[in-house]
Amino acid sequence: MKSFIYLYKTILKNRIRKAMKKPITYIFVALALVYVVIIGSSLGTLVTEFHVDSPEKLAVILSILIFFILPANFISYSRRKGLLFKPADAHFTFPAPVSPKQVILFTGMKNMVLNVFLALFVAVMGMIYFRTGILQILIYVVYYLVFENILEGSIMVLCYGNERLPAGFFKALTVICYGLMAVFVVVAFLMMMRETPSFAVLEEYLALPVIQLIPVIGWNIAVLRLIFVGPTLLNVICALLFFASTLILLALAYRAKCVGEFYEDAAKFADDYQEMKLKKQKGIVTVSLGKKQRFKEAKVEYKGAGAKAIYYRQLLEYKKSRFFIFGFNTLVSLLVGIGIAVFAHFTGVAEEAGRYNIFIIPGVMAYIVFIFSGYATKWSKELENPYTYLIPDSSFKKMWYATKIEHIRAIVDGVLMAVPGAVVMGISPVLTVLFVLLYVCLMANKLYYFMLADLIIGQLLGTAGRSVVKVFLQGIVIGIAAMAAVIGGIFLGIEVGFAIMIVVTLVLTFLGALIAATSFNKMEVTE
Amino acid sequence: MLEIQNLTKRYGKNLAVDHVNFVVPDGQVGILLGPNGAGKSTIIKSIAGLLRFEGGVGIQRMNSRSLEAKRIFAYVPELPAMFEALTVREHIEYIRRAYNSSITDGEVDEMLTRFELHDKQNKLGNELSKGMMQKVSICCALAIKPKVILLDEPMVGLDPAAIKELKQVVLELKASGVTILISTHMLEMVKDLWDVMFVMEKGKIIGEYTRAQAKDQDIEDLFFAITGEQGQNKTGGEQS
Repeated sequence: MKSFIYLYKTILKNRIRKAMKKPITYIFVALALVYVVIIGSSLGTLVTEFHVDSPEKLAVILSILIFFILPANFISYSRRKGLLFKPADAHFTFPAPVSPKQVILFTGMKNMVLNVFLALFVAVMGMIYFRTGILQILIYVVYYLVFENILEGSIMVLCYGNERLPAGFFKALTVICYGLMAVFVVVAFLMMMRETPSFAVLEEYLALPVIQLIPVIGWNIAVLRLIFVGPTLLNVICALLFFASTLILLALAYRAKCVGEFYEDAAKFADDYQEMKLKKQKGIVTVSLGKKQRFKEAKVEYKGAGAKAIYYRQLLEYKKSRFFIFGFNTLVSLLVGIGIAVFAHFTGVAEEAGRYNIFIIPGVMAYIVFIFSGYATKWSKELENPYTYLIPDSSFKKMWYATKIEHIRAIVDGVLMAVPGAVVMGISPVLTVLFVLLYVCLMANKLYYFMLADLIIGQLLGTAGRSVVKVFLQGIVIGIAAMAAVIGGIFLGIEVGFAIMIVVTLVLTFLGALIAATSFNKMEVTE
Repeated sequence: MLEIQNLTKRYGKNLAVDHVNFVVPDGQVGILLGPNGAGKSTIIKSIAGLLRFEGGVGIQRMNSRSLEAKRIFAYVPELPAMFEALTVREHIEYIRRAYNSSITDGEVDEMLTRFELHDKQNKLGNELSKGMMQKVSICCALAIKPKVILLDEPMVGLDPAAIKELKQVVLELKASGVTILISTHMLEMVKDLWDVMFVMEKGKIIGEYTRAQAKDQDIEDLFFAITGEQGQNKTGGEQS
């Protein structure tokens, strides 16, 4: 145990020391504090506006959380997920003479630390906004920090470290947990539909005896009701059952056989998680952790030589992929497109906006371009491939052929986003095409200016710092293009304004791309 | 002594290691050879307790999963993975505490100097090159003062000076009675070190030689003599 205390203390100390040397840390801390204050105060406004400023209502909110958090814990630990092991743990800790249960508990400590913060947050919010008594909050904090952590630690050991129960048991447990969550949501939904949707309906629902009788989860809710609502025969019995079951689970966890068979899954998870983190740093979204991608058989005919080979090789890779060039972004674009159409149809926002309704779709598109980091796909891997630099062709051509498919993807995504809304709002086909073109331009602009930013900044700033500079550069271009569009729009009409915006973005993007093409000259940029 | 008894490992339906048996006696250097995909890494990871398997692994006649066995067992994986926020010295300190090792500060200094890490002892894990990580990994294994040590491709990424030092360390460990198992493709690097050789193919040990059986035969010739004829158990000694 001493070794774990040393490990975590030293890691924390070194991280803090390193962070304090970076000025950006102080900015982040300040922003985080402001964020917490804003969230806290807006929560206060919400609590007052929705008339949920009482201890009883706090019990309802916390009960809903329990209904999702507790089954989710059972599910993730049963599937040997939810504990963030690192490859270094597999190297140094797993072969070491330390109890595997301790390995689980110390790794899970991060989750328990989160519980501490959650308890403190609830305590502060409870006293300020929910008019709870000090004694109520004290009892809650003690119950949460002691019993919830014992419960979570026991679940970790029993589910994650299990070596006796068959895999089928945990599959069944997972199904039951999902089922419970689904039943909870469906019944709540039906009650909302039957009566007028309100917080009172949820309150009435969670007060049902059957809810509190659900083993562990319901008993946990009963404790909250006992603390915040007051004693009833039902919640006292169920609360006692909760404390008893927690202690029984603790005893079972203490006695459970655990010699470290979970190390195999934990080490694999550590590698997969590490890979996902590295991909995330490069801006690649990973949806399924640890699953190997399957490829189909495909062929492609190379038409041309030199840098064109990059494009055809990418095309071959995409043809082998299950969903061709379509991916997560395509799905998001389709949902956004449908969302705009549904929203416009049901709210009548297009009629309300009058002639300015044509700004709705491009506005949403610009927002999507800004918030999604989907910048790195196959093209960005070209920068990590030495052969890219060795191909005897100009750097601009290499960049163009490495990114060509990205523009095709952008056209598809743009069509999916623009067409449904345009049809519902009755926007002309010419303007719809201009919307798609605008989206393609914005995506191209993002791609090349981000590349440009990487080229200029290199490794000078951290990931966050680089993102700020990238957004700033793109912001300048969009600002210039928008100004040109406004001037054009005022004097020559909205359609012409749009066309001017596209042309200006295109010219600025092309200029940026010319400089960014240097990335394909020097491999050191990406290292 | 390191004993592998009937070790079998399946990944789903794929049989990676098929009823493997071998023994590395006390104070001897065993080398585990075989082409890519033969199952060497699976055996190594099973011995290190990182995989579930059928059969048994004995370390000084103790079950390898027991804490007593782990206390005297050291492992150098093929790919070192450092704690990003720990320095070189702090890695060793962590190991010293985890194993309750008797290694002194002076001995740690000496070891770091041997592997040219003394001036880098305050570097963080994420500031190290692959070669340096490998050196740290070796130093951590030595800090345990093990009775059995497992080295998986230990020379990959090391500079010539470190390879020379590592070979010397292996000979010193052997002289002090430590049992060593090295898995490697670099036959040239282990030709002066080995006492017993195990050659694997398709999840099985297909050949086993002792130094005495090999006489003056070159290690490469021995290896290719065994692997040259597919599926044949062409050994100098009997396959255990």
